[in-house]
Amino acid sequence: MANTATAPEITLPARRGLTERLGNELRFVPVALGLVALLIFFSFQSDVFLTSRNLNNLLIQSTVTGIIALGLVFVLLTGEIDLSVAATSGVAAVFMAKMVVDTGLPIPLAILLGVGIGMLIGASSARWITLIGVPSFVVTLGVGLLLNGVQLLLLPNTGRYNLLNTGVEKLAATYVSGPAAWALVLVASTLFALIRLTTFRSRRSAGLPASLGGGVILPVAIVGVVLIALLMFLENQRGLPMPVILFIGLLGVMCYIAHETRFGTYLYAIGDNAEAARRAGIKVDRIKITAFAIAGGMAAFGGILSASRILGVSVSSGGGVGGGALLLESIAAAVIGGVSLFGGRGMVIGALFGALIIGTVSNGLNLMGVANEARLIVTGLLLVLAVSIDRGIEKLAGPAG
Amino acid sequence: MTEPILRLRGITKHFGPVKALTDVSLDLEPGKVVALVGDNGAGKSTLVKVMAGAHRPDSGEYLFEGHKVEGATPASVSDMGVQTVYQDLALCNNLDAVQNLFLGREMTGPWWTGFRVTRAHAEKKAKDVLRRMRLDSISLSRNVGAMSGGQRQNIAIARSILWEPKVVLLDEPTAALSHSASEQVGNLVRELASHGLAVLVISHDIHHFVLDNTDRIEVLRLGRNAGSFNSRDVTGEQVVNVMVGGNEAVNMAG
Repeated sequence: MANTATAPEITLPARRGLTERLGNELRFVPVALGLVALLIFFSFQSDVFLTSRNLNNLLIQSTVTGIIALGLVFVLLTGEIDLSVAATSGVAAVFMAKMVVDTGLPIPLAILLGVGIGMLIGASSARWITLIGVPSFVVTLGVGLLLNGVQLLLLPNTGRYNLLNTGVEKLAATYVSGPAAWALVLVASTLFALIRLTTFRSRRSAGLPASLGGGVILPVAIVGVVLIALLMFLENQRGLPMPVILFIGLLGVMCYIAHETRFGTYLYAIGDNAEAARRAGIKVDRIKITAFAIAGGMAAFGGILSASRILGVSVSSGGGVGGGALLLESIAAAVIGGVSLFGGRGMVIGALFGALIIGTVSNGLNLMGVANEARLIVTGLLLVLAVSIDRGIEKLAGPAG
Repeated sequence: MTEPILRLRGITKHFGPVKALTDVSLDLEPGKVVALVGDNGAGKSTLVKVMAGAHRPDSGEYLFEGHKVEGATPASVSDMGVQTVYQDLALCNNLDAVQNLFLGREMTGPWWTGFRVTRAHAEKKAKDVLRRMRLDSISLSRNVGAMSGGQRQNIAIARSILWEPKVVLLDEPTAALSHSASEQVGNLVRELASHGLAVLVISHDIHHFVLDNTDRIEVLRLGRNAGSFNSRDVTGEQVVNVMVGGNEAVNMAG
């Protein structure tokens, strides 16, 4: 009978099943399929939906939420949360506008300063959280309100800085088309291919199993096809909108940081077992502070991009007091994209899919003539559904899910 | 008889009024597995923490390779070649075996790659170590959270030997394991010793794990040495008897 006792130990498959892979590197697949389903649904509901003009709008609408969510993912991966990202985006945008309008600071410098302030806000909150050991939930809630106050202080009596004809509006209004756009697509695909290829080559030279088809050709082909399709679709409009280019660029950088670098590994380690990370010699506080700084910087940049698009900043920049819909949609985007609020699980690319799903629902329902209240209800239901599917996959994937 | 690589002489450690350890001595020899047994509160974990540098003893000598160790810290002890695997394993469930094995000691590319993890080298080294320890059945790319208790324990032990220590201290490696998983860990422990490591194992599983897999049994009772047995010449009942204080301290080890 000894054999039957040992059986469960040795028959565990060395090859990972589909559910286990869905819980890890293929985690974004269900949400990507959900996005495709939504696109198909809305294209049947409205003739306008699939036009390049509308998709152009949809993409631009999704970038601000997407960029803020992108930064937020880093904080969520460590098992913390930053409820001040929307307020940070508002303060940074107002600060940038103030510099440009009141002091005539060169725009690139003002933008850089705004992003720097966002990073500083994130880092300061995190320093406080790690130093005192207070929950990030509470600290960033307080910081968010504090920043709302600062935002009002920074604004002039009119309650608004107009950015039309200052040059800031060009950030969001620029389109890249023709050979330049094709060159961008080529550069992006080449960089991605290089990353994949170096992994493949180092595995092969170490004598480890490596698949050229599955590890290099297939992923590069998918990324290439998606980018080319995007370009061809938007080319007969005005080309690639700058916000979309910036979002895709940042997405690539953030994916690399989270999934390829040592810092990225530490984010995941801390999110799952901070004590184990600490004992392994990882400077947990420093990693968390960096994650919050990234979230703050990205939020600031998202806010600046939004200011550029709507040609000004006001009381309602950054979602208004408490962060409003901007904060909730940024968190929802990350969570719909499969990033766990409990830390250590999810992928950076989830921020893209989450933001696109929220943007698609909003845009699609709008075109169908559905009222705003229905849009909120549907988004809320989608959030619950996405998290439930995610949880189900995790349960199937392994005992420690 | 081989020279001990790690020797404790007359170690005493009190926490306020609690006499955790009183005049305890212990030798660990290369290639030998020593079991540290005793009832709850006998001082086993305290003794391991002294060896690991986590507790400073009030008095007594800590010798490593014949040299006196002064002011041991967890880092200095680990650097001199003594690795400890605590009961909680300290694994990250969302990382795979290779990532766990190298956690905190990743091999990376230069700064301009953002310290990109060069996984291939790590994976190759992990593969070699696991093969040497006859743990080839463990998948390197599965998340540790999806593995069985025995496999997780083995990965925690494998991590401790990745940097080629001379001594490995295992705090209750079989506490939460099924019988068959305990056997796996037992195989690994003997394998470590066969590669010349000195191994210390805390275990409550006297009848199976300790008698089957160790060379010598050191018994602690109420913070003192209570007996030392050659594992081949003793029965479980005798050991348990000494553990709970049925006999005077005995020395039956050759």
